[in-house]
Amino acid sequence: MSRESTLVGRTRARPGAFGFLTDTTLCIGCKACEVACKQWNQLPMDDFGFTGMSYDNTGDLGATTWRHVAFIERVADREGRRPTRLQPFQSNWLMLSDVCKHCVNAGCMEACPTGAIIRTEFDTVVIQQDICNGCGYCVPACPFGVPALSPLDGKAHKCTLCYDRLKDGLEPACSKACPTDAIQFGPVHALMDRAKARVAELRAQGVEAQIYGDEALGGTGGIGGLNAFFILTAPPEVYNLPAAPELPQRRVLPAFLTTALAALALGLATLVTFWRSKEVRHD
Amino acid sequence: MTEIRRWQHRRAPGEPVSAETRDSYYGLPVIHGPHWRWSIVFYFVLGGLAGGSAVLAAAARLVGGHWARPIVRVGRYLAFLAVLPGPLLLIIDLGRPERFHHMLRVVKLRSPMSLGVWGLIGFTATAFLNALQQAAEDGWLGQRNPAAHFLRRLPARILAAASTLPAFFLAGYTGVLLGATAVPLWARNALRLGPLFLCSALSSAAAMLALLVGRGPGNARARHALERVEQVALLGELVLLEAVQRGSGPVVGRPLSNGLEGWAYAGTRLSAGVALGLHIVTKMLPRRLRPPLRLVASLVALGGAFLLRAAMIFGGRRSAEDPAATFAITRRPEDPARQAR
Repeated sequence: MSRESTLVGRTRARPGAFGFLTDTTLCIGCKACEVACKQWNQLPMDDFGFTGMSYDNTGDLGATTWRHVAFIERVADREGRRPTRLQPFQSNWLMLSDVCKHCVNAGCMEACPTGAIIRTEFDTVVIQQDICNGCGYCVPACPFGVPALSPLDGKAHKCTLCYDRLKDGLEPACSKACPTDAIQFGPVHALMDRAKARVAELRAQGVEAQIYGDEALGGTGGIGGLNAFFILTAPPEVYNLPAAPELPQRRVLPAFLTTALAALALGLATLVTFWRSKEVRHD
Repeated sequence: MTEIRRWQHRRAPGEPVSAETRDSYYGLPVIHGPHWRWSIVFYFVLGGLAGGSAVLAAAARLVGGHWARPIVRVGRYLAFLAVLPGPLLLIIDLGRPERFHHMLRVVKLRSPMSLGVWGLIGFTATAFLNALQQAAEDGWLGQRNPAAHFLRRLPARILAAASTLPAFFLAGYTGVLLGATAVPLWARNALRLGPLFLCSALSSAAAMLALLVGRGPGNARARHALERVEQVALLGELVLLEAVQRGSGPVVGRPLSNGLEGWAYAGTRLSAGVALGLHIVTKMLPRRLRPPLRLVASLVALGGAFLLRAAMIFGGRRSAEDPAATFAITRRPEDPARQAR
């Protein structure tokens, strides 16, 4: 426990890294971020339709959806407590504007076999559209389910943290549009300090708030932190976020070692078999 | 053109509304699964077959005597022919096939797909050279052709030894590639998939070569040696198949125990067991019954290699769709739900 508390609020983000702080306690679920993102990045619409489960008709991040507001109606919490017994907070609706996490060590970037996915001078992770050949390996390599292949152009797409706007000294479209400052843009370390202060403030009010995206929660297992991180008031699974994801590429070397061992064993077995092969009578 | 999204992961009938958000976000997937389908299944099977054939041909060349020449000959040809469709199958699977050469921009040691591209090129080169020398030795390039003469004089043992490393790599890296993703079924079995695919590659290649070297009396010893290797590989495969299912656990291993993928996985185990059993039983039967049973055993082993790749790839796709499986491998150690699993 003591080790974990020292990790809270710590990130391996490089100095000068830029990112998002998405404070779910301030989100009102207006989806202005989704709209602003679509508009600025000229993303085509998703199919119109109702999911029938909540006010969330977007459902998921995708090739043409780089911000996604999740709506969770807390009919009862994990322990089965009904709303009347829950904390009177946010009217029992949880809302989270999900986005690419721009991981400090990004699984998609390490997986990319073409070098199309790069880390920019703002320490954000961007897929270069003139390089990507749509192999799709980044898609399952992301522990958060962010990149996706577009059926429109066959390439992988995800949030660019508005690289073009950053180049011009503007903040990303979603944070610019957010009317409550639930999405804040800035240097990661400054945002992390702000997040820690905010969590302390919320806890003083009796809200079980926590940071998602530091080395204790979300940025675990070699990921080293998320440059786009969140303040949550429920377990991450409630928001469809993994609590302790792992950088998939951590498994590459051990897996190659076991494969090499198996190759050695099978190779030796084959050699010995052929070496000791005896003359057999015709059958 | 836009993909129609289906919302099929709602709560089970009879469950209360609160169940929708109790264990997951309305049952929606946490991660995105891969788009890989049949072309990748076929590539995995053919890559295994090619790698296994090259290994067998090399081993036969290095330690086998004159009796092993059929293995060398057929193995070298098969290794090259089986790998030929590989790049094609991979390229048609790309979202932008005309950009396939972008794979050649970089070498990334932590990306199994990048390594795989270079490994595939290396393997194809060695397999081509080996097959070319074999063709020269078989007189297909003409007896007096100076190029054929040069090829025949190349050191065959060195060529054989040089092909083993890329051959093992080609047969096994696909397991590492699957393991280095966030897909629960593959991530949980990252250490086992490479060895499993290797065993399956060797058993299928041995089965295929045993079928191809022919039934003549001069080939009996070669066929026997191949069948022994096949049995060793099948045994390893059976052990690993069991280890994968047990290691996955009830939640992550769901695609291996029910549904179409579950049937495919059960079929893999059955065919490995049946092929191994047939080889053992055959020895106790009268001689005239042996050849047809051996034929069946080899065909069953080949079918098993195909079922294994299909079960793993489609099973992985299904496990990526299952939020419970993702949460099973990403819960924090102190989470009570993780201990309960």
